[in-house]
Amino acid sequence: MYYPFFIVYLIAGFAVTLWAFWWALRNGQFKDQQRARFLPLDEQGEQPAVTVTRLNRYQSYLLLAFAGSGLLALAAAVVYILVTGG
Amino acid sequence: MATTTNALPQIHRTARGFCITSAVWFVIGTLVGLTTAIEFIAPDLLGNISWLVLGRIRPVHTNIVIFGFVTAGLLSVSFYMVPSLLRTELYSEKLGMITVLLWNIAVAAAGITLAMGYTQGREYAELIWPLDLVVVLLFGLICFNLFMTVKQRKEPLLYVSVWYVLAAVILSAITYCIGNVIWVPGSGALAGMPDAIILWFYGHNVLGLLLTPLAVAVAYYVIPSASRTPLYSHTLSLVGFWSLLVMYSHIGTHHLLQTPAPTWLKVVSIVGSIGMIIPVMVVLINLWYTAKGKLGQIQADVGAKFVLAGSVIYLFTCIQGPAHSLPVVQRITHFSNWVVAHAHMGVLGFAGFIALGGMYYILPKITGKPIFSKSLAELQYWLVLIGMSGFMIGLTMSGLIQGHGWRSGETVYRLLPQLHHYNIFRGAMGVLIVSSALIFLYNIIRTIFFNPGGQASGVGKES
Ligand code: HEM
Repeated sequence: MYYPFFIVYLIAGFAVTLWAFWWALRNGQFKDQQRARFLPLDEQGEQPAVTVTRLNRYQSYLLLAFAGSGLLALAAAVVYILVTGG
Repeated sequence: MATTTNALPQIHRTARGFCITSAVWFVIGTLVGLTTAIEFIAPDLLGNISWLVLGRIRPVHTNIVIFGFVTAGLLSVSFYMVPSLLRTELYSEKLGMITVLLWNIAVAAAGITLAMGYTQGREYAELIWPLDLVVVLLFGLICFNLFMTVKQRKEPLLYVSVWYVLAAVILSAITYCIGNVIWVPGSGALAGMPDAIILWFYGHNVLGLLLTPLAVAVAYYVIPSASRTPLYSHTLSLVGFWSLLVMYSHIGTHHLLQTPAPTWLKVVSIVGSIGMIIPVMVVLINLWYTAKGKLGQIQADVGAKFVLAGSVIYLFTCIQGPAHSLPVVQRITHFSNWVVAHAHMGVLGFAGFIALGGMYYILPKITGKPIFSKSLAELQYWLVLIGMSGFMIGLTMSGLIQGHGWRSGETVYRLLPQLHHYNIFRGAMGVLIVSSALIFLYNIIRTIFFNPGGQASGVGKES
C-alpha cells in the first residue's frame, strides 16, 4: 500500500505551496512587478563598465552554434529511436 | 608573493564556507567518478579492494557530487544572493558556519559509510538512518536561517530567486524525510512496489525540487545582474515558479515505466513530464530575452558565461527529459548509458555549470577581491564544457547501442566489446572534468586566502 505515503507527500507539498501562495497574495507580492524586475541591479551602483572584446562576441556565436547543433543531434537521436525502436 | 594582508569581510562567511566546501568536494567527487569510469574500462585493474568496487563507489560519487559539490555551490550563492536581494544581512553567520561544518561532516560521513558498505541500497537515498537525520537537521537549519533573513528584510518584495531558494530548501526537507522513509530506521524502506514509487518521488524531487530551483534562482540573479538589464518579466518568472511546483512534484513514476506501477500513476507522470516544457521554457525565454543584445557583455564575465552555458544545457536536458518519458522512447533508452548522459547533462551541465558560474560571479563580492586568475577560470570553462559535451555524445551513442542490442535479444556480454571504446572516451572526458575541478579549487583557495586584491579584474599575477 503506497497510497498513504503518497497522499501525505502530496498533501504536505500542496499545503506548504498553498499557504505560501495565500501569504504572497495577501502580502502584495504580486503587485509592483515592474520594480521587482530591477531588484538584481540595485546593489551594483558604482561598478566599472565592462569591455566587450571581439573574442567575447565570437564566443557568443560559438555558444549559439553549440545550442543549435546540440538540439539537432538530440532531435536526430529521438527520431532514430522512434523509427528503429518503437 | 602573496601576503596575508588580505583580510576577509566578516559578513558572507557562510557563502565563502559553502564555496570552499563545493570546490573541495568537486575534486573528490569527480576523482571518485573517474575511478568508476576506469573500472568500466578495466574492471580488474583495482583488484578486489572491497571499498573500491563499483557497487560501492558509484553511490559515493553520486552523493558527493550532488550534495557536496552542486548543492553546496548553489547554497553558497544563495547565502549571498538572498540577503543581498532582500537588502539585509544573513540572519546568523554563526548558524551558517555551523551549517557549513555539519554539511561537510555529513558529506564525509556519507562517503566513508558508503565505501564501507553501509547503505540502504535505494538510489540517491543510500545514506544510513543517522545520516538521514543529520541531513534533515541541516535542511532545517538552512530553512530557519533563510526564513529569519526574510523576516528581517528591508525590501518588501521577494524577487523570484528568493522564492525559488525558499521553496527548494523547505520542500527538500519534506521530500527527504518522506522519500527516505525516515520512520523506518532499520531499512529506510517500505516493501516492494510501494517502496519503488515513494523512492522515485524522492529521487526525482532531489533533482527537481532541490537542484533545479536553486540553479534557476541563481540564473535569475546572475543574468540580469551581469548584463545590467532588468529581468524581462518578473510576472512571467512567477508563473514559471508556481507551475514548477505544481508540475514537478509528482512525476517521479516516469522512472518506473518498465515496472508494475499502477498505470494511472504512469500516465500522470508522463503527462506531467511533457507539461514540464512550460515551466522550463518560461525560465529560458525570460532569461534569454533579458540577455538579448547583451551576449558579449555576458561572455565578458566568466561567471555569467558559465551560467548562460548552463541555461543552454538546461534546454537540452529538458527537451530530452520529456522525450524519454514516452514509453516508446524509453523502451530503447531505459537502463542504458543514455540515462547516464541525461543525468550528467542535468546535474553537471545545468546545475553544476550554474553553481560554478554563480560562485565565480559572487566571489569578488564575498571576498572583496577579484578572482585570482580569470584566465584559469576561462580555461576551466572550456575544459568542463568540452568534457560535458563529450559525455553527452559518447554516453548517448553507447546508450543507443545498448538499448538496440538488448531489444534485439543480444546478451550483455556480447555487447561489451562494442561499448569499450566509448568507455575509454568517457574516461578521457572525465580527465578534463577532474582537471577543471582542480583548477577551480586552486582558483578559489588563491582568491580567498592568498590574494591581496586591489585589482578590479584580470589575472592576479601581481600577488
Ligand atoms: C523537463 C525536465 C525533465 C524531465 C521530463 C526528465 C525526465 C527524466 C526521466 C524520464 C528519467 C528516467 C529515464 C529512465 O530511467 O529511463 C530521468 C532520469 C534522470 N534525470 Fe531527468 N528529466 C528532466 C530534467 C532533469 C534535470 C533538470 C536534471 C538535473 C538537475 C535531471 C536529472 C536526471 C537524473 C540524474 C536522472 C537519472 C536517474 C537515475 O539514476 O536513474 N533531469 N529524467
